[in-house]
Amino acid sequence: MSALDRLRAECGGARAALRVISASGQLGYGVPEAAFAEGLRRRPHVIGADMGSTDPGPYYLGAGELATSDEMSRKDLRRLLVGARSIGVPLIIGTAGTGGARPHLETVLAMVREIARAEGLKFRMAAIRADLPRDVVKAAVRAKRIRPLGKMDAFGEAEVDGAAHLVGQMGTEAFVRALETGAEVVIAGRACDTAIYAAIPSLLGFPMGPAMHMAKIVECASLCCVPGGRDTMLATLEGDSFVLESMNPKRHATPMSVAAHSLYEQSDPHRVHEPEGTLNVESARYEAVDSHRTRVSGARWEPARRFTVKVEGATLVGERVALIAGSSDPRFIANIGTILDEMSAIVADLVGRKPGVDYQLSFRVYGIDGVVAWPKPPAVPPREVFVLGEAVAPTLALALTVAKTTKQYLLHHGFAGRLSTAGNLAFPFTPPEVVAGRAYRFSAYHVMEVDDLAALFPVEVEEVG
Amino acid sequence: MKLMDLARVVRSKNAGPLKITLDLMFEDEARYQRALQSPALSPGAIAPLYGLARSQVEVIPYRPALAIKVVMDRTVPSGSLGDRDVYGAQQHAPLLEVEI
Repeated sequence: MSALDRLRAECGGARAALRVISASGQLGYGVPEAAFAEGLRRRPHVIGADMGSTDPGPYYLGAGELATSDEMSRKDLRRLLVGARSIGVPLIIGTAGTGGARPHLETVLAMVREIARAEGLKFRMAAIRADLPRDVVKAAVRAKRIRPLGKMDAFGEAEVDGAAHLVGQMGTEAFVRALETGAEVVIAGRACDTAIYAAIPSLLGFPMGPAMHMAKIVECASLCCVPGGRDTMLATLEGDSFVLESMNPKRHATPMSVAAHSLYEQSDPHRVHEPEGTLNVESARYEAVDSHRTRVSGARWEPARRFTVKVEGATLVGERVALIAGSSDPRFIANIGTILDEMSAIVADLVGRKPGVDYQLSFRVYGIDGVVAWPKPPAVPPREVFVLGEAVAPTLALALTVAKTTKQYLLHHGFAGRLSTAGNLAFPFTPPEVVAGRAYRFSAYHVMEVDDLAALFPVEVEEVG
Repeated sequence: MKLMDLARVVRSKNAGPLKITLDLMFEDEARYQRALQSPALSPGAIAPLYGLARSQVEVIPYRPALAIKVVMDRTVPSGSLGDRDVYGAQQHAPLLEVEI
C-alpha cells in the first residue's frame, strides 16, 4: 500500500482531520531537534520542508550552488528522511538546493541517495524538474505571453539563451502528479512554497481555500508565532478551517501573529497568486483556541482562467573583486563623493579600458549611504567610514587589476585640503582585494502564461535503497 | 510622535527581487488609526524619503494585523550591480523618524 493509498483510507473525502508538519522554511540552516521530534509524536500525515528562495540573490540560481553548507544540508535531510520513514509518511521538499535548477536538484538527490544508503532506508522517490525549456520561453516572448513582475532590464529571446539557469515555479499540480506515482519522498526543483503543503489536501478533496491558506502560513514553520522562530509547526486541517500550533511550547500562534504573517514578503496581503489560481484571504478569520493555538477559516480559492508560472532566470555579469578599506580622516570623509569620482577617472586612465563597458567600478561608503540610498547626506558627518569598492569584469585578471590600482591610488590620492599625506585609508588586513567569485543578476522575474503545466515540470521516479 | 515610537514593528524585506515591502505594525486600534490617517504615510510623502516617484510607492492598510504595508519599486533588482541590500531587510530606517 503506497503512502497515498493509506492517506486516502484514513482522510479521503476530507472526512477526518489532516495533520501536516512543516519542518523548515529554509532546510539546510538547521532543523531544531526537540520541536521536530514533538512534531513526529503528533503522528502527522505528511512532513514538508522548503529549501529555497530568490531571497539570497541571483548568485545561487546562476552558479548552481547551494546557499547552505554541505554539512548542515545533509544533517537536515537525514533528520527529515529518517523521521518520515520512522512513521511511514510522505516527505515533500520544495525548491531543492536554494535555486531549484538542475544542479541544485542533482546535488540534493545525490545527498538523499547517500543518506538512504547509510541509514538503510528504502523508498520510492519522485524528482520534479523545474528547468524551463528555452524554446518554450522564447515562444512566450514572441507571443507576448510573458511579462516582468516589476522594473527590470528587457528580457528578449537573446536573454532567454543568455541565462545561466532559467526555472519556473511549479504549483500544486506538479506535486499531485509526483504523489500519484506512489512516491514516499518527493524532491522538487523550484516550486511555490505553498504547493509543498497544498498537494495532499488537494488530492484528498479538502476545500482549497483553507488548504492553500494553511499551506501559505505553515511553510515558514514557526515564523507565524510570537516570538517567531524556526521550529517545526503543526497544522491540523479540518475541512473548512485549520488549527496552527508550534511544536516549541515557547512559540505561540496568536490570532494577531498569524494574521500578521500574511504580510510577510508579500506585496499584497490579501491575495497570493499561484499557477492554478489565487488565494484570497480578505475574509479570513483568526480565533484563539487557547493561548498557544489559533484557528483560521474563511479564505477563498479563486481558480485561474489561465495558468501562469513565475519565471526566474540568472545571468552571469562577470568576475567580482571587493576592495575593503576604512577612514577616520574628517577631510577625506567630507570630500569623499568628489574623491571617489576623481578616483574612477584616474583608474580608467591607468587601466586603459572603458569603465561601464569593459569593467564596472563602484563604491559604497558605509557611514554615509552604504545601506540605504538616502536622498540627502547626513546632517552630521560620521566619525569613521567604511569604503567597499567593487570591481566586476569579464575576467578575474582585469577585475583584480582595477581593484589593485584603485586601492593604491585611493590610498595616496592628493585631494584638496588633505592633512594625512602619508595615506587616506586604513586596511584591516592585506591583501585588501578579496576575490568574491562570479557576479550574477536576475535577468528574469516574470510571469508566463501556460497552457500545459504538466509538460513544464516532468516527474522522474526511482526506487532508492 | 515619531513612527518608531508609535509602531510596534517597522520592518522591510524583499517581496520578490523587484520590490521592497515595509510592514508597520501597531499595538492597538488607536495607534493603527492614528498612523492610517497621517498624511506622513501617504505614497506622496514616503516616495521622496527614498528618492522615488509617487507612482512607485503603494500603501495598503491591513486591518486584521493592525498593520500598514508599504510596497516600493526597487531602483536596482536584488543582487544586481549597485544593489545595497540583497534581502532588502534594512530599508526601513528612512521611515523611523517620520512625524505622525
